[in-house]
Amino acid sequence: MGFTVVDWLIVIVYLIVSVAVGLIGKRFIGNVAHYLVAGRELGLYVGIATLAATEIGTITYMYNGELGYKYGFAAFAAALISGVVMIFVGRTGFVIHRLRELRLMTVPEFFEVKYSRGLRLVTGVLVALGGILNMGVFLKIEGEFLTIVSGIPSRYLVLAMTVILLLELLYTVLGGMVSVVITDFIQYVLLSVATILVTAYAVYHAGWGNIVDKVATTMGEAGVNPIANPKFGLTFFIWQVLLWFSVHTCWQTTAMRMFATRSAETSKRVMTWTGFIFLGRGMLPMLWGIAALTLFGTGAIDQGVPLPVVNGQTLAPIDAMPAMLANILRPGVKGIVVAGMLAATMSVNSSYLLGWSAVISQDIILPLRRVLGKAPMDSRAQILVNRISNLFVSLFLMFWGLYYTPPGAVYLYLNITGTIFLAGAFVCVVGGLYWRRANTTGGYLAMLAGAAGAIIPFFFLHWSENVTGFAAFGLAALGLVIGSLVGRPATAARAAQEAE
Amino acid sequence: MKYWQMFWTVSLVVAGVSFALITLVVSVRGYKDLREMFGRLSRRGDGNHE
Repeated sequence: MGFTVVDWLIVIVYLIVSVAVGLIGKRFIGNVAHYLVAGRELGLYVGIATLAATEIGTITYMYNGELGYKYGFAAFAAALISGVVMIFVGRTGFVIHRLRELRLMTVPEFFEVKYSRGLRLVTGVLVALGGILNMGVFLKIEGEFLTIVSGIPSRYLVLAMTVILLLELLYTVLGGMVSVVITDFIQYVLLSVATILVTAYAVYHAGWGNIVDKVATTMGEAGVNPIANPKFGLTFFIWQVLLWFSVHTCWQTTAMRMFATRSAETSKRVMTWTGFIFLGRGMLPMLWGIAALTLFGTGAIDQGVPLPVVNGQTLAPIDAMPAMLANILRPGVKGIVVAGMLAATMSVNSSYLLGWSAVISQDIILPLRRVLGKAPMDSRAQILVNRISNLFVSLFLMFWGLYYTPPGAVYLYLNITGTIFLAGAFVCVVGGLYWRRANTTGGYLAMLAGAAGAIIPFFFLHWSENVTGFAAFGLAALGLVIGSLVGRPATAARAAQEAE
Repeated sequence: MKYWQMFWTVSLVVAGVSFALITLVVSVRGYKDLREMFGRLSRRGDGNHE
């Protein structure tokens, strides 16, 4: 069933309110710290809302739904790891507490504080490249979800997503982090309501007993036991633990929220409570995917699971969950759910636009200007550079994001593109904060080895994602240790750099 | 298999209930946080505090 007038009204009202509220943020932008980290004024509750909204997008629902459809309850292991690691980081303050006390605005900024300006620049390039490639698939997949659920003809996908991108760009460019935080709060509430509604509908329609039976008959032990599932296993767990430690501490959009909290203690509390949300962020959409398998998994077997057949049409597993929603949600509820998913889309995209453009402006353009001997820019000029970077990132996304299709499962593509910089960045940040001997030589080796460890095995040697991710973190750690032991001690190198 | 099934069922309930409760609390108290943030940002104006 397509969209009714009531559904359209709900979505249009949401879009108008969201953009109007977002524009309020512009009033509070006085300097670059207001623009990038909301003047470091985030309290606990709004901190939780903005962190959760930033990391829950329609893309999150799509790839988790796909994982649930393909791997059953065994996929829950990925969600459990992400949530438990986040709670651990929040409770202990591992990395985030020290980073917050340094009053940074971007993660690569730490590399100049601890290592050198050159390494900050290299890290900035890798972070921006990996981050934008990672975000590059969002628009197309989010567009697929919205067109399937709302029933908009797919020929309007590009137009619909371009309009949404322009709307979120409008308030992000003008109001920076303040606007993003305000809209994140509204979007978080709406996307959470949609998540709870969809979960109730999915379980009601598929039936809990049927869901359990379908996984058992289709996948057997591999559907519930992640160790027995050939897609997961021990290497997957180790890689996921490392990956989530690095995401929760060094992922630019997450770290920006930690930098934006009122204090280091607040950042720990925000991280801890959002960890519980992360359990649901993964498991609930995975459950939707399993419900879609239960209701529509009747097609030919493909890689061990039956393909979804909806209204006589065979679909890809990733499209099963939105097709299920299109069929089971009634008018009105469908409008709320689509508005909720639009909220999820806009909160992620605006935060990611701000995060990656901040790295381009603060960690690539500004250090380059200093290397070239140009005078430092004042706060207003920095905000202008940030806004222009934001526009360029959006333009790239519009073209790359709508036409590129990732190979394999989306979740794994996102993990690998993130690993390009996360492996090295995480190792350098942990080494820089907790190991006195870590130095610039080690930092360079870690960043380059981490990136090579992610790119070469995955794109050229065609190793599995698990082994690739594992290799990237291992090589980065090895690079830091060898480089730091071989190169000059950090204090001597720092003194030489300062003398220059 | 049975134990894994039970484990995932309990995990799912914990995840769902946490999600709903935290959403409720954040929805109510986040608004106050936002107002306080606006107040402090307004008072600080456009001085460079970094």
